[in-house]
Amino acid sequence: MPATEKIDLCKLHKDEYVSPKKPVLVRVKPAQYLSINGEGAPGDERFAACIGALYAVAFTIKMTRKFAGKQDYAVCKLEGQWFFEGDLARIPKDKWRWKLLIRTPDFVSQADRQQAVATLLGKGKTREVEEVKLERIDEGQCVQMLHVGPYDREHETIAQMQTFAEGKGLKLAGPHHDIYLSDPRRVPPQRLKTILREPVSAS
Amino acid sequence: MRPGMKDSTLRFYKERMLRVLVHIQQHLDEPLRLDELATLACLSPHHFHHVFTGMLGESLASHIRRLRLERAACRLKLSRTPVAQIALEAGYETHEAFSRAFRGSFGVSPTQFRRRNGKARQIQVRSGVHYHADARLKGFRAARTGDKKTMTVTIKQLKPMKVAFMRHVGPYNEVGKTWERFMMFLGKEGLLGGDAQFIGICHDDPAVTPPDKIRYDACVTVDDRFQAQGEIGVQVVAGGEYAVMTHFGPYEKLGESYAKLLGQWLPRSGRNLRSTPYFEVYLNSPENTEPADLVTDLYAPLEPARGGHHACDRKD
Repeated sequence: MPATEKIDLCKLHKDEYVSPKKPVLVRVKPAQYLSINGEGAPGDERFAACIGALYAVAFTIKMTRKFAGKQDYAVCKLEGQWFFEGDLARIPKDKWRWKLLIRTPDFVSQADRQQAVATLLGKGKTREVEEVKLERIDEGQCVQMLHVGPYDREHETIAQMQTFAEGKGLKLAGPHHDIYLSDPRRVPPQRLKTILREPVSAS
Repeated sequence: MRPGMKDSTLRFYKERMLRVLVHIQQHLDEPLRLDELATLACLSPHHFHHVFTGMLGESLASHIRRLRLERAACRLKLSRTPVAQIALEAGYETHEAFSRAFRGSFGVSPTQFRRRNGKARQIQVRSGVHYHADARLKGFRAARTGDKKTMTVTIKQLKPMKVAFMRHVGPYNEVGKTWERFMMFLGKEGLLGGDAQFIGICHDDPAVTPPDKIRYDACVTVDDRFQAQGEIGVQVVAGGEYAVMTHFGPYEKLGESYAKLLGQWLPRSGRNLRSTPYFEVYLNSPENTEPADLVTDLYAPLEPARGGHHACDRKD
């Protein structure tokens, strides 16, 4: 196996994955992600199955490539985009629409994804793996800020980000994007760390 | 469980540990084998070290080292035996090594200590256990942590789990390499599905087993269809009741949490350990998690709940 360094995208794109507790402007370069779309309350069965499917595909691609002696890399943390208009809190949770993401190096191809999905289905793993896509997302200019606390308090942080954007003559263009730095199964809600990202456009 | 049962279990555990402590003091000149000490404590060698560390607040190795130094101090004060001879009896091959260790504990060199007729600072230990020439030890203070937050222990009933595993023999801090190879194999086979659990079973104690002899199994849960192949074996992790405690932080500090679970929680729990190995379940991946944010569940196997008495306690 070639002795190459393992690539860590989070460390490579530090400005996108390290954020202070105050709003900052960041230019996010186009990036490739494994993704899966869904609707429903975070934490329900469908949501959990989608996270499982996404990680299963991510690890299967990585390990298959590694076994074949190709460039190794670290599987990144879970991210999510949320699609809504107006106030999310007013929309019933089971109607929430989301796209879960895992950032993936550019050299990972559709063929890698197809092979991984076929392997997983062959072992009878989660049906949802078939829904996992490989796509590029270009968010461009964004406001980012570290949110510490429960997910249902994110709107307070978003309000600060909005004020910041407006001060620069920008408006939040959506979709809202979370980068989950903490494990919600174990970290108490007050200590959860999440990077919030809001794509912005000229107002 | 009837009232007072927990106190009586603590008493049983303390009695067992006292037997061990007396035995250590009476046999300081001997190698003090782990399995012998474990038998005295009615514990399997798997669990003994953590229970000892947790109850005494120091590891078995440092306890023995300290008592040998304290005995050396007694001999320096009360006898005319040459320092070199006393150093040798304390397990030090050179005078320098002995002097360094002695000064580290008592603040003065062995020669100074003798000249001042034993006036020096005392070694402070929470357990209150010190060397006595006649090994007369009546009791000790069992360590207790005030940190409730890190001591949340729940009891879980597990079904037996079939796991694929790869055995690692060597230093504990190198198990990562085995995990890498194992994950690569499982990943390319499509076995890292969403619900797979990642489990580590350590068959030896890193604190007392020579690093090159430590046996550790990297395990991932698999379904019934999985069959052993090549270096990948299959085993079943025993079902039954387990005491479970979550460890937050780097893997290097797992030992401290095991000592709390087995040495502080267990003796006060009214329960006894089964002799099957304990294991750990990794809830996040060191690959994309900072060491401080790692989360690991520790599982200690329990005997079915009954009296605090243990069959082996009745022997004497």
